[in-house]
Amino acid sequence: MGKKYTYYPGCSSESSGSHLDVSLRAVAPKLGIELEDLNDWNCCGASVAHVEAGALPASALSARNLANARAQGNQDVLTACAACYLKTHHTNEKIRDKPGFKEKINEALGAAGQSYDGDLHVRHACEVIVNDVGLDKIKEQVTNPLEGLKVAGYVGCQTVRPFAGTEGGGDYDTYEDPEFLDDFIRSTGAEAVEFDSKTACCGGAIALMSPDRTLGLIKKILDEAKEKEADCIATPCPLCQQNVEMYQAAVNKEYGTDFQIPVVFYSQLMAVAFGMDVNKDACLDRNFISADVIAQKARK
Amino acid sequence: MTANMAATIPGQSARKYDLGFARWVYENIEGGDKLSMCMQCGVCSGSCPLGTEMDYGPRKLFMMVRAGMKDAVLKANTMYNCTSCYSCVVRCPRGVPVQYILQDLGRAAARMGYQEAKTTDNARFAKAFIWSTRKFGRTDERLFTFKYYLSFGLGEAIKKAMANMSIAIKLVKTKRMHLGMPHRIKGTKDLNAILAKAAEIEKREQGI
Ligand code: SF4
Ligand code: SF4
Repeated sequence: MGKKYTYYPGCSSESSGSHLDVSLRAVAPKLGIELEDLNDWNCCGASVAHVEAGALPASALSARNLANARAQGNQDVLTACAACYLKTHHTNEKIRDKPGFKEKINEALGAAGQSYDGDLHVRHACEVIVNDVGLDKIKEQVTNPLEGLKVAGYVGCQTVRPFAGTEGGGDYDTYEDPEFLDDFIRSTGAEAVEFDSKTACCGGAIALMSPDRTLGLIKKILDEAKEKEADCIATPCPLCQQNVEMYQAAVNKEYGTDFQIPVVFYSQLMAVAFGMDVNKDACLDRNFISADVIAQKARK
Repeated sequence: MTANMAATIPGQSARKYDLGFARWVYENIEGGDKLSMCMQCGVCSGSCPLGTEMDYGPRKLFMMVRAGMKDAVLKANTMYNCTSCYSCVVRCPRGVPVQYILQDLGRAAARMGYQEAKTTDNARFAKAFIWSTRKFGRTDERLFTFKYYLSFGLGEAIKKAMANMSIAIKLVKTKRMHLGMPHRIKGTKDLNAILAKAAEIEKREQGI
């Protein structure tokens, strides 16, 4: 039996990022991670709530989730989404450390008869895999190594910035040149290509509201993946996955390129390498740029 | 560019200088208390992925805050070309939380009624996004996206929706967009009570 975490799936788990949620739930038990869904969780507000709602209401979104998690009992709240992690972590830290903030947030929570003290730990799934699980455990589970698969590990922004530290103190990686994703890739038997764009920005929510502003950013990421002859790009972030996959056609149209590079989650690579069902568990059928190359390369 | 440069030199333009503005920012904007630590090194501006789209990079914008150029700061498009990549936050040698400050300045500009702030794609997008959060407790990517498109008028909304139809179809086919009712939480009433209270507290503290 593994360690129990209160799991905050986040809104993308029910839509564009469903393949992260499903594949993570599939591999979690093999890694000794027991996920217990957060009761009645709400949206974290991502990078946009603040502009319309204001700073305190934006934090209040996370505070309600944290108050629900507190009532549930587990000490650690785990999320796999970069934005959910950032917002929830930041709010938790402010409630714990910023003078006067706890009082204000609790006045707001009080409107629904709730309260929260800031005593939980908010953790990213990748950080949990690094610190609680360990790479050896990933390697132990590999039955079908992804030999010869060249993967560009694309970390993106908010998974490590600004919180590359853990809530319990200590680090799991660095801001500028994080290694954890390449480590995950290698643990599945694949090859991690040298990828300078690993922490480049995909445009975030601006890519969704005005894609014309951000196609150039996405092109740069694709350019390098192609130059390094990567078979696919792997990322931990739902928005990175969505932007880099969804806008490839638009990039091709705008720049006359012919990119057709699958973009998957690390957890999808793991599920294939662990010999799990390529569609039901690894969700390869949820990628609309075919990621079948991963299953093809996996040693049977 | 030259117009912007001229605007930074007192006396060369008709711009207003409000010297109380810097103090207001220090005291009321999230992270603003650290703004006086800025040493104008430019690391932040050099880090912005969409820096070329910005009227002024964050470094220059902060200098303008200090100079009391309230209108120019609150009309700038800088805040809406911030992708929230947080490079500035981890790189600033003086610990200035650049992204937090920009984000809150953008919100303050909209709150103070600056048209430039209220009509950005970002403001429309945020409005639609929050609508979904308030109504369902969650982001319904389908509905809020269409609501965002609608903010440009019905004709434009249909055009945008059609242009993105092939993406929507792919998302449905790959089980990344569902066709049924929106997912909703049980506690929307609680959530809205909390949000309303938080907005009230913020207004009480900031006066905008
Ligand atoms: S990086 Fe920091 S010190 Fe340098 S200009 Fe930007 S805010 Fe100022
Ligand atoms: S978070 Fe915003 S201001 Fe900071 S470097 Fe990124 S785009 Fe620029």
